[in-house]
Amino acid sequence: MAETWLGNEDTVNDSQIIVGLEIGTSKVCVAVGEVGENQAVNVIGLGQAKSRGVRKGEIIDVALAEEDVRNAIVEAEQVADVEIRDVFLGVTGSHVRGFNNTGVHPVVSADREITGADIQDVIKNARAINLPTDYSVVHVIRQHFRVDGQDGVLNPEGMLGAKIEVDVHVVSGRYNRLQNPIRLVNGLHLEVNNISSSALASSLAILGMEQKELGTLVIDLGAGVTEYAVYSAGVIKHTGVLAVGGDHVSNDLAYGLKVPLARAEQIKIDHGSAVIDPEVRDRKVSLSDDSLIPGRQIDLGHMQKIMSMRLQETFELIANDIGRAGLIEYLRAGVILCGGGARIPHITRLARDVFKLPVAIGRASTVSGVKNALDEPEFATPVGLIKFGAFQANASPRRGGIGRVIRRQVAALFGR
Amino acid sequence: MSNSDKQREGANPTIGLIGLGETGVKLVEILAMIAPDGVVAHSLDTDNRSLSRCHQSRPFLLGQAIPCGLGTGGDSALARGAVESDSDELIEILRGTDLVFVVVGMGGGTGTGAAPFLANLAKQAGALVVGVAATPFDCEGIQRCNQATGGLRDLKQVADTVFHFPNQNVVLMEGADIALHQALEIANRHLCEAVLGVSRMLLEPGMLNVSFADLQASVQGRHSLGSVMHVEASGEDRVDDAVQKLLAHPASQGGEALKNASSLLVNLSGGDVTLAEMDAVTVAISNRSPSAKLVVGVSGQGNEEALKLTVVIAHAGKLDGADRESAPPKLDPNRQTSDLGYSDPFTVPDTGSYLDLGKESDGKNRNGFAYTPPAPPADALTPECREDLIRVAAKEEPNRTKRRKIIQELLPLEIVSKGRFEESEPTIHKGEDLDQPTYIRRGVVLN
Ligand SMILES: Nc1nc2c(ncn2[C@@H]2O[C@H](COP(=O)(O)OP(=O)(O)OP(=O)(O)O)[C@@H](O)[C@H]2O)c(=O)[nH]1
Ligand SMILES: Nc1ncnc2c1ncn2[C@@H]1O[C@H](COP(=O)(O)OP(=O)(O)OP(=O)(O)O)[C@@H](O)[C@H]1O
Ligand SMILES: [Mg+2]
Ligand SMILES: [Mg+2]
Repeated sequence: MAETWLGNEDTVNDSQIIVGLEIGTSKVCVAVGEVGENQAVNVIGLGQAKSRGVRKGEIIDVALAEEDVRNAIVEAEQVADVEIRDVFLGVTGSHVRGFNNTGVHPVVSADREITGADIQDVIKNARAINLPTDYSVVHVIRQHFRVDGQDGVLNPEGMLGAKIEVDVHVVSGRYNRLQNPIRLVNGLHLEVNNISSSALASSLAILGMEQKELGTLVIDLGAGVTEYAVYSAGVIKHTGVLAVGGDHVSNDLAYGLKVPLARAEQIKIDHGSAVIDPEVRDRKVSLSDDSLIPGRQIDLGHMQKIMSMRLQETFELIANDIGRAGLIEYLRAGVILCGGGARIPHITRLARDVFKLPVAIGRASTVSGVKNALDEPEFATPVGLIKFGAFQANASPRRGGIGRVIRRQVAALFGR
Repeated sequence: MSNSDKQREGANPTIGLIGLGETGVKLVEILAMIAPDGVVAHSLDTDNRSLSRCHQSRPFLLGQAIPCGLGTGGDSALARGAVESDSDELIEILRGTDLVFVVVGMGGGTGTGAAPFLANLAKQAGALVVGVAATPFDCEGIQRCNQATGGLRDLKQVADTVFHFPNQNVVLMEGADIALHQALEIANRHLCEAVLGVSRMLLEPGMLNVSFADLQASVQGRHSLGSVMHVEASGEDRVDDAVQKLLAHPASQGGEALKNASSLLVNLSGGDVTLAEMDAVTVAISNRSPSAKLVVGVSGQGNEEALKLTVVIAHAGKLDGADRESAPPKLDPNRQTSDLGYSDPFTVPDTGSYLDLGKESDGKNRNGFAYTPPAPPADALTPECREDLIRVAAKEEPNRTKRRKIIQELLPLEIVSKGRFEESEPTIHKGEDLDQPTYIRRGVVLN
């Protein structure tokens, strides 16, 4: 797979339509964007459908998922008044892993001046990763170059040196499981321009240059999975997917409060909290509208206890992972939350307690357009996919148009 | 009001579930969520850790003084002491209950030691007592297995009947490659099925009722091992389908269990059960069980498409007070190991009890409750015979995964904690199953 290009925000002349598709666990969401001059992204429409065939970010019922994706696409086409032929697709799931790799290359030319060919070679080396046979690479994202041990070189071309190294962040996943959503989308006669890990997409939607420089952790709290990405010094350092999400919160509540899952989901939305409100102890709410069990009461204290324990554990698992990678102290811009879980009352307070860092809810500030798409935290992934698409389009030769070149790369990987 | 008064008034019998030891507690927790209304669940253990996971049932710590919440470490004598010291409270718990299920995993300390004593208390309180017992996998070692066999015998001596599920049956059905947690899950389904099947049969409003009195008549005072099968089928051929599943059920032992039954309680539940269907089920079962007394009930209403078939198999055993027809077992103190297929309920002879032995002998046997089971009788199932049974069971479903599916269909546990994640890959992090509620894994008690 080609290197994922996330650099240089060059200009594009013609405005293009780029579509992001997230087949999420709770919703299928299609975001339609217009990429204008200076690569400014303008979101012109959104299509949504309740997702029924997905668990933990992966498709378990193709027929249902297909119907939901079709509905969301149709809605987006109507709202944005465009015909959608191709999409940038978000992929996620417990099998999607991120890790860092280094490529090394000796500079061979007599004068030791680093050429474009040297750079290509070192990147090629960094990409030569020994993955298990059933895994495929989703992204190879360039971080920094090193020339003769000198750190943090952004572009070594023209420098003098004997050895050139490059650090990359690699995201990989199981071939079959990556292919499932691609096949589904193709079955709807839509092309997949490229795939992006949802964690990456969400972070692209939300983070500005400054946050990436200072160091930020983005956490997308979805229904089926919690995805996270760490940026520092302008580049992506770490990504991860935890197959735990809002569904787990609801499931815990259903179990603990002895109510059906759908009811637990509603109770969570109506009365949920990420931390235990001391005033709520021993307070009960009636499920008055419950025709089956009239007068049934739910203990709010229990509810918040169950919920806060799950959410705290989720944050702790992420904190441990990032701590192991030694990245906590690099997060000078703190933690940004997105995904539906970011709507949980007091979720920022809980995250602040766990990470001991400033925490904020993310907005898709790096794009403009349809108001609600930008303010709602759960649209970070689809909106970010537009951004991802815009980078990709920009990296590919201008004349060929976005589709063709990248599509060929996708085909090389997924058309096996 | 006495129990029989209540019966006369036509009220539903009160059903109590008592889970003993870690396994019993686990099962009772599941059952408490899905059992019909009117079933009261209690969890009893010597171990605080397992009680802290109780949310649906009422926890009770056995042996507050000793072993003071720390578990028995496999010492069943310690557990016996603990229940004995808690007799008064336990009698309170059991008071007024018509039918008591004593749910237990045999082989550890608590369950093995406490179950017979508790069953006896329940008996004395006037309840009909049904034991529901799991026994260990062969691979857990001969000592544990012997301990379990002893516990099972003792429980059977006092309980009216014991529904026994050897965990090893899962290995026989599914092969040894199955993951432990899956094997336990399957075993637990079968154990829960026994309790649920009987509870529903007794509590669900029916047109033709299988009543508490029917159950009483077929199991009271029998002191035998019985079994419960619960199958479901829908569609055109739901009766044929259900009967096939019944025969493939591990507890039916390839039809052998039906053949030897002394009485059978059969309950059909589902929408619009026709007379023809009733007839078909009755004929299919009575053909395979010519000598059994058969009671057939029909319950359920509405337009439920599935036909649910519950069959309680009771064996004659012996009646209370009747002369023991077989000689007391000859215990050979030198025999340390046994080729006993202890997982086979029918190799356990009907008489003698190590519990009694412990009391009657000079105390030598009490020490650690060393119990060496006698050799299996000649007519016990041979390995070849067992193979045959497995083949019979497998014949219906040559495909292994398909077979497993059927077994799991037997008991739709609607709300187990896995709930929504049943079909997806479990989220395991450092050996911990994150799909389970956090508060439960952290042992938080809500009350
Ligand atoms: N069917 C089934 N059997 C189980 C399960 N867990 C344990 N067992 C079996 O039950 C036997 C007894 O184990 P426990 O219930 O843990 O023992 P205990 O009664 O708590 O006794 P202590 O040793 O005092 O803790 C084990 O040897 C296993 O074979 C389960 O979830 N399902
Ligand atoms: N106000 C709220 N309080 C609590 N939870 C909420 C609230 N609003 C949304 N959620 C939860 O957020 C989750 C949905 O988030 P989101 O739309 O980001 O998920 P998704 O993208 O469909 O799933 P995934 O990315 O995991 O595949 C649901 O679990 C939902 O219950
Ligand atoms: Mg999402
Ligand atoms: Mg124990």
